[in-house]
Amino acid sequence: MAETEARKSMIKIKPKKYKTGDIVKVDFIVIHPMDTGMKKDKKTGEVKPAHYIDNITFSFDGKPFTTMKVWETVSTNPYFSVNFKVPGKGKITVDYTDNTGEKNSKSKKLKPKD
Amino acid sequence: MKRRNFIKSMMAVSAVAATPMALMAKEDAPKAKKKGPNDMSFDAAVAAITGGKELKDSDKVKLTVPEIAENGAVVPVKVEIDHPMEENNYVKAIHVLSTKNGNVRCVDVMLTPANAKGYFATRIKLSSTQEVVGLAELSDGTFIKAGKSVKVTIGGCG
Repeated sequence: MAETEARKSMIKIKPKKYKTGDIVKVDFIVIHPMDTGMKKDKKTGEVKPAHYIDNITFSFDGKPFTTMKVWETVSTNPYFSVNFKVPGKGKITVDYTDNTGEKNSKSKKLKPKD
Repeated sequence: MKRRNFIKSMMAVSAVAATPMALMAKEDAPKAKKKGPNDMSFDAAVAAITGGKELKDSDKVKLTVPEIAENGAVVPVKVEIDHPMEENNYVKAIHVLSTKNGNVRCVDVMLTPANAKGYFATRIKLSSTQEVVGLAELSDGTFIKAGKSVKVTIGGCG
């Protein structure tokens, strides 16, 4: 497999309205099979190779504030949620890789209603 | 003729009766556990995370999981640590583990004071009824945990 399409993912900030200094919830959801490498493809009978997200970095304006090591035991189309204290206007970026070396990135602007 | 037919029908019945047993035997065989490359037992995972340091149960670790998982492939887990998140005193990491999956590890979350709360949530796979454990590493180097049992009717690892 040469190139893959950028994966579909979403960053959700809760609540939708917040001010600088507020603690918000940052949810990251991504479409990914999270195959454990133990399951057979029902059509081909072949074991589906392990294919799962293994590392995630959450940054604000380029500065990492949370990193995660993820294992194949996380559910398909995984969901990850952390809190974050809004420093001001800026951009949250989620960079993630999977065990095949695939790299992806998703960003969302933080727009506090100060 | 009657006897022949009787024996024939008996053989047919026993053949039919035998088949489900054979199928069951085949399905039982795979339970001889398949090994994954990341397989790690709970004790080994704890040792890897804590480096052998003391790990205490603490009610500062609030773990929210369903009592019964409708679907073992998607079990929601929330961990909240009742501990400050200040520059020199914060929750450094939250680890989510199971106790009986081949690879017990699920996610290792390295937090910073910018997170403002020792909180993490995700959804994990559970192969069978077992405990989910939330393990926190505090910035002073101590480790605390809490575990809760989740009943799983349909296993989620495949």
